[in-house]
Amino acid sequence: MIKESIVSEFKKIVGEENVLTSKEALKAYSYDGTTSWIHEPDVVVFPTSTKEVAAIVTLANTEKVPLTPRGGGTNVSGGSVPIKGGIVLCTTKMNKILKIDKENLTVTVEPGVVLMDLTMRLAKEGLFFPPDPQSFLGATMGGILAENAGGPACVKYGVTKQYVLGMEVVLPTGQVVNLGGRTIKNVVGYDLTMLFVSSEGTLGVITKAELKVNPLPLAKKTIMAVYDDVAIAGESVFRVLENGVIPDKIELLDNWVINRIEEMMPMGLPKEADAVLLFETDGIPEAVEKETEKIVEITKKYGARDVRVAKDQAEADKYWLARRAGFAAVFGKAPTVLAEDVTVPRGQIPNLIKRCKELAKKYNVEIVVLGHAGDGNLHPSIMSDEKNKELHARALKAMDEIIEGAVEFGGVLSGEHGIGLEKAKFFRRVMEPAVIDLMKGIKALVDPNNIMNPGKIWE
Amino acid sequence: MKELKELKKIEKFADQCMKCGFCTFFCPVYQEDRVETAVARGKNYLTKLVLKGEQEFTPEMGEIIGKCLLCKRCVVNCPAKAQIDRVVVGARAQMVKDKGLPWIKNFAFRKVMSNRKAFGRYVKLASKFQWIFPKGEGNIRHLPDFLKALGQGRHIPEIAKTFLRDQVKEVNKPQTGGQPKMRVGYFMGCATDFIYPDIGLKVIDFLTKRGIEVVVPKEQNCCGAAIYFSGDMETGRAMATDNIKAFKDIDYILTACGTCSSTLKDYKVYLPDNEEQQKAYDEFAKKVKDITEFVVDVLKLTPEDLKLRKEFEGKTATWHDPCHLVRYQNIKDQPRQILKSLKGLKYVEMPNADLCCGMGGSFSVYHYDITKKIADKKMDGIKATGADIVVTACPGCMINLIDNAARHKMPQRVHHILELVE
Repeated sequence: MIKESIVSEFKKIVGEENVLTSKEALKAYSYDGTTSWIHEPDVVVFPTSTKEVAAIVTLANTEKVPLTPRGGGTNVSGGSVPIKGGIVLCTTKMNKILKIDKENLTVTVEPGVVLMDLTMRLAKEGLFFPPDPQSFLGATMGGILAENAGGPACVKYGVTKQYVLGMEVVLPTGQVVNLGGRTIKNVVGYDLTMLFVSSEGTLGVITKAELKVNPLPLAKKTIMAVYDDVAIAGESVFRVLENGVIPDKIELLDNWVINRIEEMMPMGLPKEADAVLLFETDGIPEAVEKETEKIVEITKKYGARDVRVAKDQAEADKYWLARRAGFAAVFGKAPTVLAEDVTVPRGQIPNLIKRCKELAKKYNVEIVVLGHAGDGNLHPSIMSDEKNKELHARALKAMDEIIEGAVEFGGVLSGEHGIGLEKAKFFRRVMEPAVIDLMKGIKALVDPNNIMNPGKIWE
Repeated sequence: MKELKELKKIEKFADQCMKCGFCTFFCPVYQEDRVETAVARGKNYLTKLVLKGEQEFTPEMGEIIGKCLLCKRCVVNCPAKAQIDRVVVGARAQMVKDKGLPWIKNFAFRKVMSNRKAFGRYVKLASKFQWIFPKGEGNIRHLPDFLKALGQGRHIPEIAKTFLRDQVKEVNKPQTGGQPKMRVGYFMGCATDFIYPDIGLKVIDFLTKRGIEVVVPKEQNCCGAAIYFSGDMETGRAMATDNIKAFKDIDYILTACGTCSSTLKDYKVYLPDNEEQQKAYDEFAKKVKDITEFVVDVLKLTPEDLKLRKEFEGKTATWHDPCHLVRYQNIKDQPRQILKSLKGLKYVEMPNADLCCGMGGSFSVYHYDITKKIADKKMDGIKATGADIVVTACPGCMINLIDNAARHKMPQRVHHILELVE
């Protein structure tokens, strides 16, 4: 339990209404978007300024109380679960978009800004922030930065780290530092911004960020390619890219997902298909036309059974709605879903998919494949039930081997979700001990009392 | 462990939530509070803990479960199709079962009681509402609501001098003479009866002009929304029984109140306790039509059949979607079709037309501060249209829209859709 004196000090810093201690409120801050990671904090604090964040962190450091930064709580790694108790510092009330600079194509945000709110605001100025984690309706910018979030549009546009120019961070000691700057090029010393873009909240609290944005593309087209073999679909991904077209999105849905979507909302997806690839190209209208033609040509050449170009935005929206529904289809179908986030070099996608199929047979579990095929980031999901011990044991074994497979194929165990609690045991298995030591050394230097989101990544 | 009969009924809905947190974006209350207990995910999680025996229905839980507009924005946007409205109503029902009414703290009660003037006005008002409540219950259920509404600087609508029920005949023959081409029942609803009787007169006039006989059964009761959404299922069922009886031999039951039409239709969703009730509510629901859907889908009136009233000629109108029409009944196109077909009226769509106005029945009484903030967004949307009039089809929304338009010193008048038509 936290000392009463600390709680009353917090009330002085942020005001009575911004400190929660009721047991109901603490329970509501014990979870994130994962199924099984639950731990209550002792207090939840809502700062509204950098100064308040610094005061809260300083006190936590002096008193050596664990502090877990949290935004929208949509993460799926256990990263924002206060596993050691203590303080949850919630940034949802720091949600101002401070500045949109059209001349320099930058935006300045507070950490609690929800990505969708930013997207809507930027659209009014003809701009957009390309990384598009599919939790955009609830995910806040602080978490998107700290997790280095990705999403479908990363094939062409890259992930969050490519859009961070600078940030203001409250270090675990309470000190406020400004990292990076406002320019695209910046090689003044170590690029410490990158340290925080992947820190998963273990190195400090991001209180402000300067981000790069792009002008909204003038045109978009969606192409759906249908396959009799999911592995051939995997091959189509790199065939399109090696032939000179970089779509902004290439998404994969397998037969299981297609059928669940059709059950939920019939929209004419080919139910007998083994897999479907959804491509989107964006840019100048003429270029989009040419790219679309090229995608149709290449996918047909490399084994697509049927290729459809959405005739208008309404049809395109339908396909993308299906892709988003895929996520619900998977999670709604089993009591426990082990959702993987493995990422392999694109050329290895067919191998990874084959491995998933073999493992499904070997362990007699249902493994569903969907994901961002364009960047090799797949989300093989294993249907399980925690209450069914025998089934769950098989599912866990299959998950272990998927991850081993991904690493064997030259990939990584997480592409965009982060390690948090969910992947910690694999982290130790796949990382070089010397690299883990280096990370721990950095952590000890920045956070000498180990108060900042303790218990995550390697612990 | 205690028996949790009401909660057990909704357990399967509570299990649907996968904690993705998308509801945070759609919840008008979360958008203001930005606290997890305000949103569906938090409410659902805590209710699941009660089911597991890890959480009690404390007064704080009462506050948390009470602080929901039941606007269903989270429900229609949920990727897992979790029916959080069922969970919230189920939790309220369990609380009423365990602790009785009222489970929401009556913080403003005393504030108003101490205001002699407001109290006097209230008592006069309350005496007129007595009839709503089953005899012998001893307390007046709406009482705290009306008390609290006073004394908060709110524009309280004036109570009609003569209630609608005292102005209408039980049987209203077609003005066209001859055999009626259809016979329908009209369900007034409390707000129309006591505050906007003119809307009710308009409904009857509109229908009888078009060769329809309108029956207004005297025994009809309140729809029960405020009652059963607060968790008092038993009284809700008593009201359902009254209304089913009152409209027994009628093919269509029409109402011009979005909340009433959805409530009457949804007895089957929220209230049944056994198969017999389920069957009776299912049958009853089939007969209920909102006036907007009746005009478009049943009467299939064409632009020639609809004439704009003179005073609205040349005006620009915008439509506010009541939660109980757009999300509870998926009635969205029908009112727009009516407005667009009125010659001489210009129609503009407002941004976020389907955003809740913030009223949420008694929500606005307990959480008037949040209601005002939500309504501010609605008012911004209305201002952006440049419309002269705001049109809707729910007297509850009308009360709140009028209150907030006045607070914002806006020139826009608020009208029920039928008021625009000859």
